[in-house]
Amino acid sequence: MMRPILRVARATFHEAWRRRFLNGILLFAILIIGSSWVFAYLQPGAELQMIIDIGLGAIRFFGMLIAVFMGTRLIPDEIERRTIHTILAKPVSRAQFVFGKFLGGAATIAVNLALMGIAFYIVFAIKAPEFAAAKPEDAFIFAAMYSNIAKAIVLALFEIWLVLGIAVVASTLFSWVLSVIFTFVIYFVGQMSDFFQQLSDPGRGASQIAQVLLGALYRVLPHFEIFDIREAILQGTYTPWGTMLQTMGQGAAYLVVVLLIGYLVFNEREV
Amino acid sequence: MKPYKIIGWLAVIALIVAIQPLDRSVEYNRLILGLQQPTPWFQIAARGAAGDTELAVTGVTGVIVGAALGGFREVAATMLWMKTHEYWHKGEALQAKSLWLMRLVTLLDPHWLEPWRVTAWHLAYNLYVETDDPELRAKYLQMGVDCLREGVSWNPDRYDLYMELGWTYFDKVEDFEEANKWFKAAMRYPHPEYVDRLVGHAYERMPDVPRALDAYDYCLKRDPQDHTAKGATLTIRERYLWPWYLAEQGRYDEALEAINEYLLAKPSSSLGLHVKGHIAERAGKLRLAYDTWKLAGDISALDFLAQNKAVELAHELGIETEDTAQYLYMQKMGKDLKVTIPGRDRMSR
Repeated sequence: MMRPILRVARATFHEAWRRRFLNGILLFAILIIGSSWVFAYLQPGAELQMIIDIGLGAIRFFGMLIAVFMGTRLIPDEIERRTIHTILAKPVSRAQFVFGKFLGGAATIAVNLALMGIAFYIVFAIKAPEFAAAKPEDAFIFAAMYSNIAKAIVLALFEIWLVLGIAVVASTLFSWVLSVIFTFVIYFVGQMSDFFQQLSDPGRGASQIAQVLLGALYRVLPHFEIFDIREAILQGTYTPWGTMLQTMGQGAAYLVVVLLIGYLVFNEREV
Repeated sequence: MKPYKIIGWLAVIALIVAIQPLDRSVEYNRLILGLQQPTPWFQIAARGAAGDTELAVTGVTGVIVGAALGGFREVAATMLWMKTHEYWHKGEALQAKSLWLMRLVTLLDPHWLEPWRVTAWHLAYNLYVETDDPELRAKYLQMGVDCLREGVSWNPDRYDLYMELGWTYFDKVEDFEEANKWFKAAMRYPHPEYVDRLVGHAYERMPDVPRALDAYDYCLKRDPQDHTAKGATLTIRERYLWPWYLAEQGRYDEALEAINEYLLAKPSSSLGLHVKGHIAERAGKLRLAYDTWKLAGDISALDFLAQNKAVELAHELGIETEDTAQYLYMQKMGKDLKVTIPGRDRMSR
């Protein structure tokens, strides 16, 4: 059962690296990460914070871009090129195909994030000690940063996998442009999910129907902000592995929901 | 609908329901551990809505919103801060739109200290002098102080904003007790040595001679070459310690005579007048105390403590007077400016 999935995944992974625009995004991300120390001078006295914000922000942002643009092309490309008929004619079920496509994309994203992460660690290791030396009172926060950054990248990986899952599902429902827009909207709205919780509060004066709808949206939408632990890094707060596992678990659970929806939709679709 | 589809969609719903307890647990842990984003978006939006919505969006361009939403809060904060500099150079730094932008920067990136400092300075210092209305001035003072207090709550393990808050109380409100509370809080964290001396300066101006000497003693023990502390100790011992000692003994007339002797040589010494006003007040010579504080307040337009004391005594003596901004502020804060008579055991010298 796993072999067809892995074959589709491997083919997807190799194909992804041949896409020039994805390589372009990765290159641009590494450039931004590499120059994060230049931007650090914009915030005198808070250079370390700025490096973290730009470096990790770039990893999350460009990772998300890669996930959206790659995820929304994974299945439609196969349909347009009609290669999907060949694949599905072989003993590969639609569920295996969707999951294999996602897995290949997820592996591509993992490698992309690892490369961005390495670039960030190099910049951080070169420039951060210099900034930290200027502020001895930050020594404690600085010492905790190295391990916290790794944790932040791991959580970013789960976040971007979830975005990829949404992009793959969106591409089975809508045209390419629409699925890109849909995924972006879900991502940005998911970043502000607490907004819906606040708006659904009876004290805010929204009508009962609106309250129910907003409350439901809050419950159904993935909460992307939970994958962001930059605040902990900036404050030198220890992020326990228990919390990390819970957050990753939540990401994985949402991913299962998203891929299940993808399968249910794609299984009925004419290709 | 095919049975597998029904089962599939039911599984989707069941999974979403099953995720909820995990979601609540994650949210709770993030709250407890301080992992949440500094100021949630709904709070920022609510602040904007509470003020002038038109002003709230001025300067907040699409790029800035995009940066903030894309996860680059600090970059967005920096861009907004640069925008406030632009307003500054146009001479619009004190306009509401500029101040709102500064506030927005503190909301977006509350761990960046400079915006707190500058925003509070604009409020307590620059906006303060833009008006002659004491009520408005008191309001701006409070806004500046509140801004720094909020900044402290975000950065409790750094000396900077404790020190700024203490300095605002010291220099602008002239509530030296409150100033020392914050200077001492700043001293709990790595800090430059001038903060230690400020404690002594505040006690000196209060005046509380024994405590001022204690504070300078501390500075000298830490650095025997601290010339400022050395000079201040000599001045206090030479000029104010003896009158203070006499007052502590309840020998008020002798104490007043002693401080008058010094004031003969330096009639406009604000610290000398403070000590005299303090002794006169303790002696129950309220008219003399009023005249002394009034004189000190008239000599220096920035001697808010003397002006406040004069206003308070004027109220007590039934003398017509105009309330100062600092007095109104202190009244609002429920501060009693009256001299508290310390126990004899405090006089250790």
